[in-house]
Amino acid sequence: MKRLRLTAPLLLALALPGIASAQDDMWDDEEWGDEQEASRWSGFIEAGFGTRFNRDPLLSNRNTLEELRWRVESDWQPGRLAISLKGDVAYDGISDSLEADFRDLTAAFTIGSSLDVKLGRQVQTWGTGDLVFLNDLFPKDFQSFFSGRDDEYLKAPGNALRLTRFSPFVNVDFVWTPEFAPDIYLTGERFSFFSPLEGGNVAPQPPLSAIEPGSSLSNGELALRIFKNVDGREYAVYLYDGFFKQPTALTEDLQPTFAPMTSVGASARQALGRGLINIETSVYLSRDDRNGSNPLLPNDQLRLLVGYEWEARANLTVGLQYYLETTLDYGALIANSPFPEYEPDEYRHVITNRLTYRAGRDKHTWSLFTFFSPSDRDFYLRPAYSYRHDDHWSIATGASLFGGDKAHTFFSQLQDASNAYLRIRYNY
Amino acid sequence: MFNKILITGLLFSLASIAQADVMTDADEIVAKANLASYYAGMDGRSEVRMIINDSQGRQQRRQFTVLRRDVEDGGDQQFLVVFSQPSDVRNTVFLVNKHMDRDDDRWLYLPGLDLVKRISAGDKRTSFVGAHYFYEDVSGRRPSDDTHELVETTDEFYVLKHVPIDAQTAEFASYITWIDRETLLPMKIEYENAAADVYRRVEVLTVEMFDGHPTVTSSRVSDIASGGSTDMQFRYIKYDVGLPEQVFTERSLRNPPSEWLDRPK
Repeated sequence: MKRLRLTAPLLLALALPGIASAQDDMWDDEEWGDEQEASRWSGFIEAGFGTRFNRDPLLSNRNTLEELRWRVESDWQPGRLAISLKGDVAYDGISDSLEADFRDLTAAFTIGSSLDVKLGRQVQTWGTGDLVFLNDLFPKDFQSFFSGRDDEYLKAPGNALRLTRFSPFVNVDFVWTPEFAPDIYLTGERFSFFSPLEGGNVAPQPPLSAIEPGSSLSNGELALRIFKNVDGREYAVYLYDGFFKQPTALTEDLQPTFAPMTSVGASARQALGRGLINIETSVYLSRDDRNGSNPLLPNDQLRLLVGYEWEARANLTVGLQYYLETTLDYGALIANSPFPEYEPDEYRHVITNRLTYRAGRDKHTWSLFTFFSPSDRDFYLRPAYSYRHDDHWSIATGASLFGGDKAHTFFSQLQDASNAYLRIRYNY
Repeated sequence: MFNKILITGLLFSLASIAQADVMTDADEIVAKANLASYYAGMDGRSEVRMIINDSQGRQQRRQFTVLRRDVEDGGDQQFLVVFSQPSDVRNTVFLVNKHMDRDDDRWLYLPGLDLVKRISAGDKRTSFVGAHYFYEDVSGRRPSDDTHELVETTDEFYVLKHVPIDAQTAEFASYITWIDRETLLPMKIEYENAAADVYRRVEVLTVEMFDGHPTVTSSRVSDIASGGSTDMQFRYIKYDVGLPEQVFTERSLRNPPSEWLDRPK
């Protein structure tokens, strides 16, 4: 496996000049034909490196990102089918392994005139939050998000059947994920995390592997969205039946696992003044702990989000969000908790701010995303800069900066994970 | 085939005769030029490619298909723009509901995240996907945003000067357009700054007839200050294809309608 480290960059260097010269004659009139070809291959090759500002005493590797990634994409339309493929092969230096995964491997078709079917491995997103998720219970990859990979990797793929029915009255989206697809959570391999049992951060060896629900069909996930756009005002109602996506529960023998959960929610988004306002709410019902007295299981939650985004001046966009996470049956939680001091506040408030500035005809993009929780007294800053040199080469750099007063809160536990990263990408 | 050419030619000459009457009202000329430039037919489709030349001689390329539907001639419109090149924006889709009485509704679909991103109303005089063209060059500037003055009528052109009513909404102090008297298409636009220097120019390079509508098939915008330019070409143009309103919804963002996007046979 180690050998790949040397040979892959060499292959990259050999392959690139050939690819580049093949696409230089841009004004050839015959090239119009390309677009309608049955299939084409594209993708990118990317090298990424990220390292901590300070060593995490629990981890031997100071780096958060050491990888060489090759993306392959294609799509084609045999008959009435639309086949789509998007796959990654990556050498990950942190785990010293070669990893391959499809982000998209789907067949899509339409039944009648208004029912769209998409079957296979796919990335899915809905809801109105910006990096804050209430009714979007599709799997997220927080390891990628914190380690400096492209934002795209925050959304992890899942194997699902998606049915979307469009009608003038109302649209319905239905997603069935037969086998529970959890978030990619913190395991102690790349990042350490807070353990109430230890009263501090841990990085278990072997890495944490939470017990997943059995793979019977009754342990699958169902997600429903009913949505409608009325003259630019977007309304949606959501329903989810599955599990908490993070291993926040414990089994009888104190192994981390995922508690059964049902959620109901709604959202609205529309123009207001010069900007856009979004409101979203969701109730999480912890099905096996409805009264909140079981210390092994998470309690019910009520989540609320209000956001506003506007272009403050040409090319400068500002987004503000207020997010409230209310833990229900709070008295029962505290009364039964073996670690009341580490339980979340009854009301967890988070304020986010996004600034995005584009310059030089979008060649340069500066952005800063800030999470700040006045109740947890912790924060997460994500400054980033990207430069698109041409249609092939681009560079992205940025940092993840975590801080806080208490050891156990969500962002504060990641203080030793604060890192900066650099990625160089060649698109082909 | 012969008949089609004949009829088209006949219509074209009739149109020319009708327009041979010299117009003298600047607002009327602008209204008709707006219709000719952005509202030909009740709907239309075209493939578009742009070559972006920066001041250092580097080139970038964009290629996309545009579907357009007029809600009302000279009024609200809908656009669906599906990108095919370069590879990092392939399958990105842009949906615009253009309104006369309020800000446009705009959505962008980012396939990597499966994210339908709503875009807040913004300055329309910023780069369109990295080109020297602005959003407003592509979807049209509201005639009511400027005052119009007919400066000169030559054998070929109406020459007009336009001044923004709210100077805050534009980076120019004024612009001059040369509108073809026959087709009513603006053939050249020069933007001037406060010092009356021309810093930006849009030129039509070729016009061809499609379905009876004189249509720009290549144009160029030059950023005179920096030396960069973008060339834009249109191909596979067809009008009145019968695009239904439902094409311009979230469905088309996630699942672009190949029925309407595929090249006409």
